[in-house]
Amino acid sequence: MAASNLPHHISQQFDKELEDIRSKVLAMGGLVEDHLHRVLECFAKGNFEAAEYVAVNDYKVNALEVEIDSDCTEILLCRQPAAGDLRLVLAVSKTITDLERIGDEAEKIARLVLNLRNTTALTTYYVGMLAMGHHVRRMLRASLDAFARMDSEAAFRVAHEDREIDAETDVIMRHLITYMMEDARSITPVLDAVLSLRALERIGDHARNICENVIYLVEGKDVRHVALEQVEQELELRRRGDD
Amino acid sequence: MDNADRRPDVRDWVASGQPWIWLTAGTVSMSLIMVVGLLALITLRGMGHFWPAGVVELSLRDGSLMLGEYADHETVTAARVRGLGIEVPAEREFVDRFLLKVGNRDVTGADFRWVNDIDIVATRYPTAAFVAEREEWGNFYGFVDGIREGETQLDEGVDLWAEIDARLARKQDLAARIAAIEDDAMDSVNYALERLRLRERRLELDGVPAGDEAHARIAAERAELDQRYQDLSAELAALHHDIERDVLLVHTVDGEARELPFAKLVRVFRPNGMSWLAKLGHYFDKAGEFVADDPREANTEGGVFPAIFGTVLMVLLMSVFVTPFGVIAAIYLREYAQQGTMTRIIRIAVNNLAGVPSVVYGVFGLGFFVYFLGGSIDRLFFPEALPAPTFGTPGLLWSSVTLALLTVPVVIVATEEGLSRIPRSIREGSLALGATKAETLWRTVLPMATPAMMTGLILAVARAAGEVAPLMMVGVVKLAPSLPLDGNFPFLHLDRKFMHLGFHIYDVGFQSPNVEAARPLVYATALLLVIIIVALNLAAITIRNRLREKYNAAET
Amino acid sequence: MSRTAAGPGAEGAVSGMSLHTLRETTASAQASATCLEVAKLNLYYGDKRALNDINMTIPSKMVTAFIGPSGCGKSTLLRCFNRMNDLIDDVHIDGEVRLDGQNIYDRAVNVAQLRRRVGMVFQKPNPFPKSIYENVAYGLRIQGVKSRRVLDKAVERALRGAALWDEVKDRVHDNALGLSGGQQQRLVIARAIAIEPEVLLLDEPASALDPISTLKIEELIYELKRDYTIVIVTHNMQQAARVSDYTAFMYMGDLIEFGETRTLFTTPRRKQTEDYITGRYG
Repeated sequence: MAASNLPHHISQQFDKELEDIRSKVLAMGGLVEDHLHRVLECFAKGNFEAAEYVAVNDYKVNALEVEIDSDCTEILLCRQPAAGDLRLVLAVSKTITDLERIGDEAEKIARLVLNLRNTTALTTYYVGMLAMGHHVRRMLRASLDAFARMDSEAAFRVAHEDREIDAETDVIMRHLITYMMEDARSITPVLDAVLSLRALERIGDHARNICENVIYLVEGKDVRHVALEQVEQELELRRRGDD
Repeated sequence: MDNADRRPDVRDWVASGQPWIWLTAGTVSMSLIMVVGLLALITLRGMGHFWPAGVVELSLRDGSLMLGEYADHETVTAARVRGLGIEVPAEREFVDRFLLKVGNRDVTGADFRWVNDIDIVATRYPTAAFVAEREEWGNFYGFVDGIREGETQLDEGVDLWAEIDARLARKQDLAARIAAIEDDAMDSVNYALERLRLRERRLELDGVPAGDEAHARIAAERAELDQRYQDLSAELAALHHDIERDVLLVHTVDGEARELPFAKLVRVFRPNGMSWLAKLGHYFDKAGEFVADDPREANTEGGVFPAIFGTVLMVLLMSVFVTPFGVIAAIYLREYAQQGTMTRIIRIAVNNLAGVPSVVYGVFGLGFFVYFLGGSIDRLFFPEALPAPTFGTPGLLWSSVTLALLTVPVVIVATEEGLSRIPRSIREGSLALGATKAETLWRTVLPMATPAMMTGLILAVARAAGEVAPLMMVGVVKLAPSLPLDGNFPFLHLDRKFMHLGFHIYDVGFQSPNVEAARPLVYATALLLVIIIVALNLAAITIRNRLREKYNAAET
Repeated sequence: MSRTAAGPGAEGAVSGMSLHTLRETTASAQASATCLEVAKLNLYYGDKRALNDINMTIPSKMVTAFIGPSGCGKSTLLRCFNRMNDLIDDVHIDGEVRLDGQNIYDRAVNVAQLRRRVGMVFQKPNPFPKSIYENVAYGLRIQGVKSRRVLDKAVERALRGAALWDEVKDRVHDNALGLSGGQQQRLVIARAIAIEPEVLLLDEPASALDPISTLKIEELIYELKRDYTIVIVTHNMQQAARVSDYTAFMYMGDLIEFGETRTLFTTPRRKQTEDYITGRYG
C-alpha cells in the first residue's frame, strides 16, 4: 500500500507537489548527512575546515525546513489530502523536524570541536566516538533510504539499531568518565566530549524517529512509545488476515 | 486588389443574417397589423353605430324633398349611371352616390334610398327635423306638429319638447310597470299553472282516481291562480289604456301627416339641434340599451342582453362540466395508468378529438344527448309533459355538455402537461413523510397543477365562447322567450333554449329582414362578443397568474 | 480482507488488541446498538444489477456516511432503507434490510408507516409551495393530527431541532419558497424530524448549498446525532470525514470498505478506497 505504488492522482499538479516535498526531504536528508559526514571527518583527520563548514552552513538546513514546512501547509490547505497522501504530508512534516534537529546536533558538535583547534583533545577523547559516529551516520542514511523507498521493513531494521547506539554510548561514556577521574584538568574538554557524545546519540534517536515516521507513512500505525516487537507482530497478523 | 465581379455588399448583407431578421420581423408585423386592423374595424363600425348622425334634408332636381341620415357613399362612373337611363351632364366622368336612411318604412315601404349627387339641388340640416325610434316600423324622420292627449290637442303655447320628454318619461314608466306584470308576475302565474297541469297529468299517469283529495287541492290552487291571473289582467288592461293616451302628431318631409302613439315610441330627438354633450349622452344611452335591453324588431333594434347572458351562462356551465371531467381523466392517465402503448393510443385519440370539426360535435350532441339521453330522461322523469319534450329537445344543458365534450381534450392535455411538470422531488418529499400516493396527489400535486388546469380552462373557454355551429343544433335560437335564469323554481332552467352572441351575429347579419339597417349592429355585436371572450379569458388568466405566483418557485 | 467488508462489530474485534484501545472500545460500545442491518441485498434495474450482495450493519445514534463515485449505488442503497426505490418501475430487490430486527421488505410492512420511521432528506431542497408552518406540519397532518396546539408545539420543536426557529419564528406563515437554499434545506430537515423518525436518511443534503449553509447543515447533523440514527450520502469526502462516525465506500454496486471514519480516511485497507479518497485514477 505504499504511496509510490499508487496510480497518479487525477490532479497531476498534486502529484508534482507531493513528489516535490518528498524530494526536498531527501535533499535535506542528504544535506544533513553531509554535515554529519564532515563532522566525523574532522574527528578522524583533524580537518577543522570541515567542522567550520558545518558550523557556518547549518542555516541551509534550517531554511530547507522552513520551506518544506510551508509546502506542507499549502498542501494541507489546498488539497486536503487523505489516507496515504495525508500520512505522507504528516510524515514529511515530522521528518523535517527530526532532520533539522540532526542538523542542529551536527552543528553543536562542530562548534565543540572547533574549540579544540590547538589541543590534543581531539585525538585523545574523540577518536573513540568515530566508530559510533559512522554507525549513526549509516543509520541516518538507512532511514533516509527507507523513506525514499517507503520500505517499512527496512525502517523496522534501522529502528532496532538505535539500541546498539545506546549501548555504544554507554561504553564510551564510561571511558570518558575514566578520563575525568584520572585527571581533573581534563574535565572541561571531556565534558565537551560528553556533550558531543550526547549529540551523536540524539542523532541516532532522531534517525529512529524518521524510521517511525516511515512506518506510520507506510503502515498507518503510530509506533512511537510502543515496543517495536509488538507492532511487528500485529502487522504480521494483519498481513496474514489480508491474504 | 480583388477581382471585379465580387459583390461584397449583397453577399455580406445576406451572410449577416439581416434578411432573415427582416423576414421574421415582417411576419410578426403582418400578424399584428391584421389583428389590430380587425379590432379597429369592428370597433369603429360597431361603436360608431350609436352616435346620432345629423338629419339632412335634400332638395332634389325634380322638386321633391328627402329627409334622412347618410348611411353609405360610393363613386361610380358616369357611364354606368347613364346606362340606367339617368341624365348626366357630359363633362362628368364620375357620379357620387349617397345612401340615405330615410326611415318611415310604414309610409314609403323602404328604409334606404340611393341619391345621385347630380340630382341634389340643395342640402340643409333643419334643426326642427326629428328622429323617432319606434318599437315597430323602424325610425321615423320628420317634423313635430303637436301632441294629442286623449281626444284633445294641446295648446300651441306649451313648450312642445318639454312636453314630449315628460310624456315619453311617463310612457317609459308605464311600460316598465307593464313589463313587470307581464314578465314577472304573470309569468310566475303561468309557470305555476303549467306546473299544476303537469302535476295533474302526473296524478292521472299514476292512476289516482278523479275524486281524490290531491285533485281537489290542485283545483283549489288553480282557482286561486286563475283569480290572481284575472286581477293581473285587469291591472294590465288599465295600464294599456293609460299608455295609449298620448299621441304625437307629426308630418313627413313630404307634408304627409301622421300620428305616432307614444306607446310605440322609444326615443324622440332632434340630432341637428343637439349639443356635443347631448350627443354624448344620447350615445351612452343607446350603448347602454344595446347591452342591457331585449332585442326589438327581429333583432335589428334594441339590445342583445339575452344573447350576452346566454353566452356567458353557457360558457360558465360548460366550464363546470369540462373542468372536473378533464382533470379527472388527466389524473388517471398521468398518475395511475400504466404508461405504455395503451395510454399512448388514448393520448393520440384525445388529441385527435380536438381536431374534429365542431359541427360534427353538434350532430353528435343532437343525436346522443338530445334525442337519446334527453328522450330517456323525459320518459323516466317527466312523463307528465309528454308528448311535449322537456330535456328531449335542444337546450342549455345539452349545449353546455356538447361544448364540454368539444373542449375536454384541451383540458386533458393541459392538465397532463401540468402534472408532468410537477418535479419528482416534490412527490418524493411527500412520500418520504409517510404520505400515500393519494394523499400526495390531493395535498401537494393537484394544488400545484392548478395553474395548468386553469390554462386548459382558458383555452377551453376561448374555444367554446366562439363556437356557433354545434350550438345551432343543440340549443341556440334566434329569439328565446325567456332567460334560462329567473325567479321561478328551480331558478336555473337547463332545459330552456337560449340566445348566443355568435349566433346573433349570424342571424342579424344574414337572416334579418332589413340587412342594410342591421349591418352596424353586426359589428357592434361582434365587438361585444370579442370583449366578452377577452373578459372571460382575462379573468381566468388573472386567477391562473395568482396561482402560478404562489407555486412559481417550485416549478423551476 | 474478506470479500464483504466487515461491519463495525468485526472491526471492534480486531481493534480489541489495538494500540488505541481506549478510544476504540468506547466507539464499539456505542455501536453495539444495531439499527439497520443489511443482509445479502441485491438490487436490479431490469436486468442490470445495481447493488451486489451488500452486507452491513448500521449502528444506532451514529452518523454513517456513504461515499463513492457517481453511479456506484450509494444513493440507491440509501433509498432501499425507506423503500423509495419502490417508486421506480422495473426495480427488483432481493435480500433483507432489517430495521430493529424486522425485514422492511416483508409483505406485511406498511410502506407509509415505514417511511414515518425512516425519514429522508433529498439532494435539492424540496419544500412544498406552502407556508413554512404547513411544510413542517405536513407529516403530522397526514397522520391525522388536527389539534392546533399539538401542531404548534411540534412545528416549533422541529424548527428548533433544525436550528431554523430563530430565523423564521416571525414568519412561519410565509411561503417556504421565500427562504434561502440553506434555510430551505434545514426546513426540509425540520419537516422530516417533525414526525420523529428513528432513522434519518440524507441524500447529499448539502451538495446544492453554499459553504456557509453547508457548515450549518453539518453542524445540525452533529446535533441530530444525539436523537437519530443518520445515514448520509455525500460526494464531499471532507464532509464525510467531518460529520460521520462510520464510513462506507462503495464502488460499482459493491460495498468495498466499511469502517470507522477516522481509520478509513487515514489508513484505508483496500486499494480502491485509497485511490478514491486520495483522488487517483481507479
